[in-house]
Amino acid sequence: MLNIQNLQASVDGKEILKGLNLEVKAGEVHAIMGPNGSGKSTLSQVLAGNSAYEVTGGEATFETKNLLDMATEDRAREGVFLAFQYPVEIPGVSNLQFMKTAMNNIRRHQGQDELNAATFMKLAKEKIQQVNLDPSFLKRGVNEGFSGGEKKRNEIMQMLMLEPKLAILDETDSGLDIDALKVVAEGVNALRSPDRAVIMITHYQRLLDYIVPDYVHVLANGKIIKSGGKELALELEAKGYGWLGLSDDEEA
Amino acid sequence: MSNLSTGSKPNTAAKMLSSITFDENTSDLNTRLKSFSQVKKEKLALLSIPTRKTESWKYSAKRLKLADQYPLLSKQTSNYQTSYDLDCHQILISNGIITLSDSEIEGLSVKQFSDLDEAETTQVLSGLIAESDEFPFADINAAQFQNGVFLNVEDNAQIAKPVKIVFEHIGQGMSFPRVFVFVGKSASFELIEELNITANDSSEAFINSVCDITVSENAQLRYIRMNIDQGACKHVGATGVKMLRNARFNSYCMALGSELGRHDLHVKMLEPGAECDLNGVCVTRDRQHYDNHTCIEHIAPHCTSNETYRCIADQQSSIVFNGRIHIHPDAQKSLGSMSNKNLLLSSQAEINSKPELEIYADDVKCAHGTTMGQLDETEVYYLKTRGISAEQAKLMLTLGFVLEVVRSAPIESIADYWEQQLTDILSFEAN
Repeated sequence: MLNIQNLQASVDGKEILKGLNLEVKAGEVHAIMGPNGSGKSTLSQVLAGNSAYEVTGGEATFETKNLLDMATEDRAREGVFLAFQYPVEIPGVSNLQFMKTAMNNIRRHQGQDELNAATFMKLAKEKIQQVNLDPSFLKRGVNEGFSGGEKKRNEIMQMLMLEPKLAILDETDSGLDIDALKVVAEGVNALRSPDRAVIMITHYQRLLDYIVPDYVHVLANGKIIKSGGKELALELEAKGYGWLGLSDDEEA
Repeated sequence: MSNLSTGSKPNTAAKMLSSITFDENTSDLNTRLKSFSQVKKEKLALLSIPTRKTESWKYSAKRLKLADQYPLLSKQTSNYQTSYDLDCHQILISNGIITLSDSEIEGLSVKQFSDLDEAETTQVLSGLIAESDEFPFADINAAQFQNGVFLNVEDNAQIAKPVKIVFEHIGQGMSFPRVFVFVGKSASFELIEELNITANDSSEAFINSVCDITVSENAQLRYIRMNIDQGACKHVGATGVKMLRNARFNSYCMALGSELGRHDLHVKMLEPGAECDLNGVCVTRDRQHYDNHTCIEHIAPHCTSNETYRCIADQQSSIVFNGRIHIHPDAQKSLGSMSNKNLLLSSQAEINSKPELEIYADDVKCAHGTTMGQLDETEVYYLKTRGISAEQAKLMLTLGFVLEVVRSAPIESIADYWEQQLTDILSFEAN
C-alpha cells in the first residue's frame, strides 16, 4: 500500500530524514518508535503533505500513485489520514460543518454520493459516542477549548468518520490517561481490516499493549535502524535506546 | 425643497442643514424638548463638519461628501419586511414617522417623544450621553429631530420578548431617528436596532441616528445593532450608554458596508461593579467603507470591560476600528481587555486599527491586542489534510473568523440570519 524508498526531507534547510525506507502492506499495523528529534513527526508531516517540509530526495508510492506529487487534499481524498500530534484549534468553524465538508469531498473523489444531512448526523453522533465525547462537541468550534485528551479523541472520531485506507497516528497516545488511551485503541482496532493499514508513531510501549502491531521500527537520525516484531518494543522498553548505540540524551 | 446650491462647499453644520427644510408644524414636541432642540440649532453655526484633518474622522471624512442639497424626505408607507423570524415587539421609525406595534407591554412603557409627560421629559434630558466632540452628528440630530422613541423599563421587570426598532429610510434625503432607553433597577431587557434603507438610488440618502441608553443599578441590557444595507447610502450613528452600579451591558454590532457607515459607541461606567461586553463584526467589499469608533470610560473603580471586534475587508473596501479605553484616576481595580482582529482578503483592501489606552489610575489591568493579516497557514493545512480544498478552506476559515463572534449573539434566529448573510457574501467572493 505504502512504499517509501530512500526518503530525504528537510525543514528550514536542516536535513531531518536521511534516506528512510519503509514498506507497509494492506492489513498491517506498523509502530515507529525512536528518540526525540529522530524524524518521526517529520515523516508523518511529509506523508500528509505539509509544505513546511521539503522533500529533497527519494520517493513514496501510495497504492500505485506517487504520493509526494499529490496536493495535500488529494492525499486525504485518496485515503491517507494523519491524526495530529497537536490538533489545530479552529474557532468559528463547527466540528460538524468541518466533518461534513471533509467527508463529502472524499466521497465525491471516490465516486460516492454525498451523504444527506440526516444520514450524516446519525453517523456523526454514532462516531462521537464511540470515542466517548458528548454529542455537543459536534456543534463546538473544531478543537476549540478542548482538553488535550479531547482533541486526540476528536482526531480518532474524524478517522472513524473518514475511514481512511492508511491512518498515520502521530503520538496520539501522548498525554492520554489510561481510559482515553483505551478509547483511542478501540477506535483504531475498530478500523483494522485486511484492506487498511495503520502507522503508529509513539514513544511508549504502553499503546502497543492495546493495539498490537505487526511490525515495530526504530527510527534514529533520519533512518530506520532496526525493525522487528512486537517483541522489539518490549526489548526497547526494557533496555532503552542506549541498547541500539544511541545516546540516552536523545531518549524521550 | 432645498435652497442651497451656490457651489461653495458647506463646511459648518449650519450650512449643511440650511439645505434641508422641515415642515415646522409637524413637530409636536413639548416646550422643553423644543427648546432643547432650539439650543442645539443655535450651536450648529459653531459646529464644523469633520474633515480629514479631524483625527477621529481621518479615514472617513472624505466619505462624507455631503451633497449641496438634500430633498425633503416625504412621508411614505412602510414597506419593511423582516428577514428573520423573531417573536418581538416591533417599533418602526419610517422616514421619521413612528409606528408602535404594541403600546401595552408589561413592565415596559413605549412612547413617542411627542407624548412625554414632565417627568419623562426630565428623564430624557438628563439621560443624554451620546453627544461628544468627536461625533458632531449627535448635536445635529438633536437640532433636527422631530420626534423619538422613548422606552422605559420598570424596576425589576424582566421583559420576555425583545424590542426591535427599525430605522427605515425610504427615498433620498436626510433622516434623524432618535431613541431613548431607560432600564430600571434590576430589570432585564433586549433591544435590537436595525437599519433598513430603500431607495432606487441611495447615494443621497443620509441617516443620522442617535440612541441614548441608561442601564440602572443591577440591571442588564443586551443590545443588538444591525446594519445590513450595502447600498450607496451614508449613515452615521451614535450609541451612548450610561451604566450605574453593577449594571451589565452587552452589545453585538453587526455591519456590512455602504458608501459610508459609521458607528460611535460610547460607554460610561459611572458606578462600581459595572461590566460591559462589546462585540462587533464588520464585513465590507467593493468600494464600501465602515468606521467603528468605540470608547469605554472606566469612571468608577471595580468595573470590567471586554471588547471583541472582527473585521474583514475585501476588494477595494476599507474599515476603521478605533477602540479607546479611558481609565479615570479614581477607577482603581479596573479590568479592561480589548481584542481587534482583522482580515484583508485583497491587496487593495484597507483596514486601519487603532487601540487607544488612556490610563490615569495605577492599580488596573488593561490589555489590548490587534492582529492584521491573512489566514493562518496551519489552519488551512489542517483542513486540507481532511480532503478540503484550498478554496473551501479559505472560505471556511474566513467565515469562521466572523462567525465566532456572530454565534455569540444572544438571539439564535439573528445569529442564524447573519451566518447566512455572511456565508452568501463570502462564498460569492470565494467562487
